Amino acid sequence: MKTQLAINTYLKETGGWVASQLEACTRCGICAEACHFYQALGNPEYAPIWKLEPLRRAYEQRFTVAGKLKLALGLEKKLTDADLEHWSKIVYEACTVCNKCAHVCPMGIELGPLIHEVRAGMAAAGVVPGDLAEATEKQKTIGSPLGVTDEMWRERIDWITDEWEVDIPVDKAGAETLVVFTSIELMKFPDNLAAIAQILNKAGENWTASSKGREVVNFGYFEADEELTKLFMYRVFRAAEELGVKKIVISECGHAYDAFRWTAPNIMKVPKGVEILHISEYIHELWKTGRIKLKEGAFDSETITFHDSCKIQRRGGIIKQPRELLKVLAPTSFKEMTPNKAQAMCCGGGGGVISIKEADANRYAVFKMKLEQLQEIKAQSVCMVCSNCRLQFVDSLAHFNSTVKVHGLAELVAKALV
Amino acid sequence: MDWTEILRFSRGPLLHVAMMIFIVGMSYRLVKVILLGWERDRAANKGSKLWGVILNYLKGLLVLPFIPWVRRTFRNNALTFIAGGLFHLSLFVVLAFGTAHILVWKSLFGISWKSLPTPVVAFFSAAGIISLIVLLINRLTHPVLKLLTKLPIWINWVMVFLPMITGFIMARHLWFRYEVIFSLHLISVSLLLIWIPLGRISHFLFYFFSKTIHGAQAGKRAIMP
Repeated sequence: MKTQLAINTYLKETGGWVASQLEACTRCGICAEACHFYQALGNPEYAPIWKLEPLRRAYEQRFTVAGKLKLALGLEKKLTDADLEHWSKIVYEACTVCNKCAHVCPMGIELGPLIHEVRAGMAAAGVVPGDLAEATEKQKTIGSPLGVTDEMWRERIDWITDEWEVDIPVDKAGAETLVVFTSIELMKFPDNLAAIAQILNKAGENWTASSKGREVVNFGYFEADEELTKLFMYRVFRAAEELGVKKIVISECGHAYDAFRWTAPNIMKVPKGVEILHISEYIHELWKTGRIKLKEGAFDSETITFHDSCKIQRRGGIIKQPRELLKVLAPTSFKEMTPNKAQAMCCGGGGGVISIKEADANRYAVFKMKLEQLQEIKAQSVCMVCSNCRLQFVDSLAHFNSTVKVHGLAELVAKALV
Repeated sequence: MDWTEILRFSRGPLLHVAMMIFIVGMSYRLVKVILLGWERDRAANKGSKLWGVILNYLKGLLVLPFIPWVRRTFRNNALTFIAGGLFHLSLFVVLAFGTAHILVWKSLFGISWKSLPTPVVAFFSAAGIISLIVLLINRLTHPVLKLLTKLPIWINWVMVFLPMITGFIMARHLWFRYEVIFSLHLISVSLLLIWIPLGRISHFLFYFFSKTIHGAQAGKRAIMP
């Protein structure tokens, strides 16, 4: 029964886009070498293409002669509930949907988005790791995956306002820009939230946060439950429409940027004429247009590097902007890790993985490779533009007793404001 | 057994039927995939989709095959990569520039071109066979490939290997009488043509879909594909 729900989702999602890519695979296995989970743990089931098995089987058995033949000859079986349970662990706990695999696939198969479809079937069947489902439920009922209530949100914003002595406008009528933060920033990295406010205030931006659209993180998107994905974005869009803003700025969260920037227009009604920007590209624009000025070499005293987040850099194209800023902040001490930019390795915490306790061993194993990349260039600090990555870095660096410091880009920019 | 009869059958009716099955089968698959429908991507572009597609093909066809180390990934997978690349290159050279194959193309399409010297073609056909064997060994031993490889993939291998080895033996005039080895070559080619629409060798067609999609997605997002 569960399985049928998953299969129905797969068949519904299977357009030419999915089918042609599934047909293109030659079973060469090169994608495995791009997967940080496979590299770190060596489990062949973590090969990205293997993660597509449920989707492939549903597609082939329904739409292709070969699939039907295999079924008739007993070479392949129909999907079962046990299969779903099995693959659920693989696609949620050993995949961050980072899409690096797509860049090494000789056929160019977009494995990341296809794995997202596999997750969609799991979500429809309700076969989602407990921790992830719980956080999603919290976001649905309370409004935040961390369980931040309306009241807590206001108190926290007030506290940050006092503590950092920074003005954070809330529900300001006539504002041009709506900035939506993550609960992670609110609860764990308030310095970053304050930094963003300082930068925008310094630039003279007419901005506001919203008490109704206060959560940018999208756990529906992690689960790949389309209805919830839409619901969580709808809350923000509705707030934007009510406020009449012209821009929505997504704060430091990768999956949220991906959902708002690239997915929303394809699955729901989006407010017309409202631009979606990531905070890192927006800060860059403010600097480029001279609205903020930065102290050159403000962080030039120790080796600093930049961690590329999958959804913001590899999938979002915001590659040169943070680097241009860092070259101002640390002209001589900024160093690139290898690989970097679109080819960078994911931190291991994205795609909801970090919220699943059972996946801790996986994400630490992956992070060990990231740590090696940091050590290779003797980085003393690392900077990034995604608080989900930042959470993974802070937690994992402590796990490995490393002294490398972690910064949000906004935090560095705010400190260098002149 | 009369091999002259067999040759007449295999170069005539068998091959023609096989070609028909190949064309009809592949068209069916192509149409079927296209008819599944394509949704328009409504998200605004950041960069040029077309430029992304062009770059992706250039990279795929020119850069990656010759400079495998541009992506760190290939350090761990040099074998699949080099043997796979060499196999495809060999296939292309032999099919497009072998004297006998040029005659086939001429009879089918009425156009012909100059062939490459026999030793060059011989070298590539040997290289193709060797790389195919290397790929088989890799498939038998690599944990990921062992997991991914089911019966149809093994059949693929046999179906591709037979025409290559019979073609090589025939072109080098080894061991067999001409009618015998030519018949075997044609029979194996026919089997391959009939098999292609059923298996993953059809990737030569769907390659253009996935490669275009990836290039367009990268271009749209303003990143290097």
